[in-house]
Amino acid sequence: MIQFTNVSKFYDEDVVLKDISFTIEKGELAYITGPSGAGKTTLLKLIYCAERPDQGQIVVAHWDVGKLKQGTIPYLRRNVGIVFQDFRLLSNKTVFDNVALALRIHDMPPKEIKEKVSAVLKEVKISHKANTFPPHLSGGEQQRVVIARAMVSKPTVLLADEPTGNLDAETSKTITDLFKEINARGTTVLIATHNDALFHGTGRRVFHLRDNCIEKETIE
Amino acid sequence: MRIFIFALQTALRSLWHEKWINLLTVLSISIGLLILSAFMTITLNIDFVLKRWSKDFGLVVYMNDGLSKDSEDALKNIFEKDPDVEGIKYIPKEQALQELRLALGLNSSILEGFENNPLPSSFELSLKREALKPELVERKAEQIKQMNGVEDVEYGEKWLSSLNTLSGVLKIGSLFLGSAVFIAIVFVTYSTIKIFFYRRKDEIETLKLLGATRSFIRLPFLLEGLLIGVLGGAASSLVLYGLYAFVIHKAPDYLPSVSAIMLYLPLKVYVPAPLAGAVTGFLGSFIAVGKIRY
Repeated sequence: MIQFTNVSKFYDEDVVLKDISFTIEKGELAYITGPSGAGKTTLLKLIYCAERPDQGQIVVAHWDVGKLKQGTIPYLRRNVGIVFQDFRLLSNKTVFDNVALALRIHDMPPKEIKEKVSAVLKEVKISHKANTFPPHLSGGEQQRVVIARAMVSKPTVLLADEPTGNLDAETSKTITDLFKEINARGTTVLIATHNDALFHGTGRRVFHLRDNCIEKETIE
Repeated sequence: MRIFIFALQTALRSLWHEKWINLLTVLSISIGLLILSAFMTITLNIDFVLKRWSKDFGLVVYMNDGLSKDSEDALKNIFEKDPDVEGIKYIPKEQALQELRLALGLNSSILEGFENNPLPSSFELSLKREALKPELVERKAEQIKQMNGVEDVEYGEKWLSSLNTLSGVLKIGSLFLGSAVFIAIVFVTYSTIKIFFYRRKDEIETLKLLGATRSFIRLPFLLEGLLIGVLGGAASSLVLYGLYAFVIHKAPDYLPSVSAIMLYLPLKVYVPAPLAGAVTGFLGSFIAVGKIRY
């Protein structure tokens, strides 16, 4: 589902990622870990085409990401749900409208949007806040809304960048459980985190990034 | 269609949400278009007056003395077939003398000194509006002068030249003013939409990451620019209508001659301003949104 082959990325003269190769299988849940500045976020950005590789090849589903034209990028992103550490929710829209936005860009009929959004909000247990504006939500609630928004269009891949970075241990556990549920339904999930507790004892594959390279791959 | 409706709703919401800056933009556009429309109205009225005057303009073709009826008819036939000629009036020499007598009034006795009628028969040719160009009329007069049986051709060269100069000045003025207003409106809309675009930068970034196409992102801004332009244009048309109605009803009380040179403007005169506003507003916002890169 996600395949990196000898991928390198530079910012001017600085190496951000060097000769990265790995494969995430369809329906897998995997983690990328490493210290701050190791290149975790850049690696995720390469997957949803916010950055382009300077060397190597990236294939996501059937898309050769490095060769995508500008006009095709939106169609790749519709297949890739993204959960951001800083949430990126629109403060002037309600929870419902924030999530619905992901379906409006698909030109979906309003009735269908209502059904799908209500269902996904129920799934992430935030339906009671559907008419609330994001600034009035806690960090954990906002993260659930972000997950709902990422999941509502049923993407094949879900990427999460430090999804528990701003959350307490209990809320982190709830969010992690949500990702496991999503994965159990068949979505490929890749989580970037520096929090070891998130993947310890999960039995999942973990890619350890250090000094801009994959230092090792473990099964935790 | 659903995307269009969503974009329209977003544009309308933004129009209301940013009402003060939008109101200022609409006012600026309407002032620009009002100046242009007022100028056009004045041009239209002057053109109307010129058209009326031009009806009286014509070529006078004097014929040789003693020209046969047959030859006169032949000339008449030629003039009738000429596509530039709108009307022909034949003035026999007797009528010419009578008219001269009437014109001289008490001094008409000076005509008694002539044994015979000294005036020739003539044709008065009125020309179509589009043929009233100095070089064209001059060429036509020369052609007619070469015809058999024609003694001389007269026309108001100076008057025609002034008429055309005035017409030309008005046309150049319209073009210059139109271009200036066009650029000004595009710039005003550009600035406004650019501000909105920057204010919604985060929203646009989120939309891009969710997989929104360029047209989905652009459309609300383009519609907003278009609506601002239409509103500005409609406002200018309304003000123009009010001003024109006021002038046409009140001005004759103070300047009676005004009614003679002013037209009642047909409704279609008020349509171009909102249309021009729509086009320029759309163009301004199109430039403001620019190329969207992912």
